[in-house]
Amino acid sequence: MHAYHGCYLRVDLTTGSSERIPLEESLLRSYLGGSGLGVAILLRERAAEVEPLSAEASLAFVFSPLVGSPLTTSAKFAVVSKSPLTQRINDSLSSSGFALSGKKTGHDAIVLTGRATEPSVLIIDESGVRLEPAGALWGLPNREAQSRLRERLGADYQVASIGPAGERLVRYATISHDGRHAGRGGSGAVLGSKNIKAIAVRGSHRCSWGDPAALIDFARKLSEKSFGPATAKYRELGTASNLLVFNRLNVLPTRNFQQGSFAGANAVSPEQLGVSREKTRASCAACTIGCEHLYGLRDGQGNVRLEYENLFALGPLCGIDDGEIVLRACQKCDELGLDTISAGGTIAFAMECAERGFLDEPWLRFGDGAALLRALDMIVSGDGIGRMLAEGSRRMAHEIGRETINFAPQVKGLEIPGYDPRGLQTMALGFAVGSRGADHNRSGAYEVDFSQAVDRFNVGPEAAVLAIETEDKAALLDSLILCKFLRGVFTDFFVDSAEMLQLVTGWNVTASELRATAQRIVTDKKRFNILAGWTPAEDTLPERMLNTPLPEDARAMLSSARLSGLVQAYNVARGWTAEGWLPELDD
Amino acid sequence: MGRGNRRVMTMQVTVELFGIPRARAGVAVTTAVGRCLGDVLADLASRFPELGESCIEGRALRPGYTANVGGERFVTSSDTLLNDGDTVLLLSLDAGG
Ligand code: SF4
Repeated sequence: MHAYHGCYLRVDLTTGSSERIPLEESLLRSYLGGSGLGVAILLRERAAEVEPLSAEASLAFVFSPLVGSPLTTSAKFAVVSKSPLTQRINDSLSSSGFALSGKKTGHDAIVLTGRATEPSVLIIDESGVRLEPAGALWGLPNREAQSRLRERLGADYQVASIGPAGERLVRYATISHDGRHAGRGGSGAVLGSKNIKAIAVRGSHRCSWGDPAALIDFARKLSEKSFGPATAKYRELGTASNLLVFNRLNVLPTRNFQQGSFAGANAVSPEQLGVSREKTRASCAACTIGCEHLYGLRDGQGNVRLEYENLFALGPLCGIDDGEIVLRACQKCDELGLDTISAGGTIAFAMECAERGFLDEPWLRFGDGAALLRALDMIVSGDGIGRMLAEGSRRMAHEIGRETINFAPQVKGLEIPGYDPRGLQTMALGFAVGSRGADHNRSGAYEVDFSQAVDRFNVGPEAAVLAIETEDKAALLDSLILCKFLRGVFTDFFVDSAEMLQLVTGWNVTASELRATAQRIVTDKKRFNILAGWTPAEDTLPERMLNTPLPEDARAMLSSARLSGLVQAYNVARGWTAEGWLPELDD
Repeated sequence: MGRGNRRVMTMQVTVELFGIPRARAGVAVTTAVGRCLGDVLADLASRFPELGESCIEGRALRPGYTANVGGERFVTSSDTLLNDGDTVLLLSLDAGG
């Protein structure tokens, strides 16, 4: 078999034992890798029914058939588990050397179960699998923990770690590697619950390719296209350049989604942040685009990666119009290992609760940069309100009561990214039905809103099919795995993907087979969620976002009835029951 | 046709530029003339050569870019009719990230 090792490594952290579990070619062809293969493995491991922070829970690091190939942006891995934040499926993606070296250990995935008896690091290399005490690494921020472990083991190891947030089981803690994060849904808390500070991998097992010469030729052409206009925005400006566009269209979530535009947007825009600050660019391994734009802090305390989601969540969402504070908050989240969207969303929710008298925290106010930085520290220390903040906005709202759940900015417990659903109503559908909750990486339905295909203020059921198309594309990208920022360069994404897969695996794959594969993966995420307790009532938006327009724009109003109609149309178009059950599971 | 009528025929729109279009034009806001999106794009291309080269092909937007009228309708067709005083936004198509 080309492109795969045909097995995954299953490590029982309680006993320290490990075994290689075969993966049949038919299963690999059905689920590919990354998110898809991760969901298939977790279903096999019966992970849906267990508590995600228990010893029995499984956490999968999943590689893909394209990892290690010369295809640009293919050095990626998925981290898949049941989310401690949502209690539903969670698949987060990250990049770079960990993907390359992890696959070279000779496995298509590494699955962790059990719990180490003490804080430990897991090492997987040519001599096998072993646990070592984490010792002084426990408590360290990500970058320092990774560099100290590499000093100890050797620079040829690649390390993924948790920060203090993962150790403290913050429900939206990340797993970090080389400055990038498997960010959403709390996989860092799952690793922390297993007493694992870091995983170090090194290997020498390379996969063969189906047609190496043609693969190199295809990869060269793809790289050339990646220098073209389709990726110019990412290369030259970075995703943060969305901020002023979204602000202009009144879809920039501001002050916990109380508004869709922010008076201070200009001050925190990348156009402004770039003035009088050192600005550099970086890139994941094996990427020809290089979308990462780093901004220097004024006191010389480092350069900070800034993306649109970090910027919106730690800026306008919390009412912060001081660029330096936003950069410091981003840096803090990186080092502590916090998902920026959930951290910003939960703090913004708490700010509103405090301002409305539902929380006795007079220091916690919109626009107060010192309060934002203090709240981030408290999330990890657990001091004061930090204990509640660490649970995410949904649990916090349930604890506060007084109908605050109506304005907790979440779907299925996952805090909503920076797209106001009232003015982007196809995206509203994507958020409502998302298997891991409100998410812009698993549904690209905003693309439909940014087109002539729909009226973004008045989306009808015909948008359901268009939303499904973006969700299926994302499922395929996340399973192959390729970076989403490459999507604009393909002439026909499914046709091009079939050719790539054929070149690496030697399989005679077609575009229609890959369409079916993408649908299977989305359906199996739903299957996981149903086993985990999903009900149709979850596929909705917070009360605040329904039936009331955005203050800036009376047209930006989504009624409950329209959203229900969209969800129903989506379910039917997927071939599920109108409520969203899978036909074979529906009694 | 009197002077007044000719003025009505030459419609002026405000153009707001974002992202790559702004970087190429070097301005955030400008005005342009034309009865339809194609006219406006041609006018912009003639006055901002770098914008024209990167984002506009003749009277049409290159793939990867889109336009929006008044913060409301997204349009890409060059034939899209505009009204005097309209605001046209030019932006990169990929909103995600
Ligand atoms: S485009 Fe950006 S996120 Fe994607 S692989 Fe390249 S550097 Fe990484």
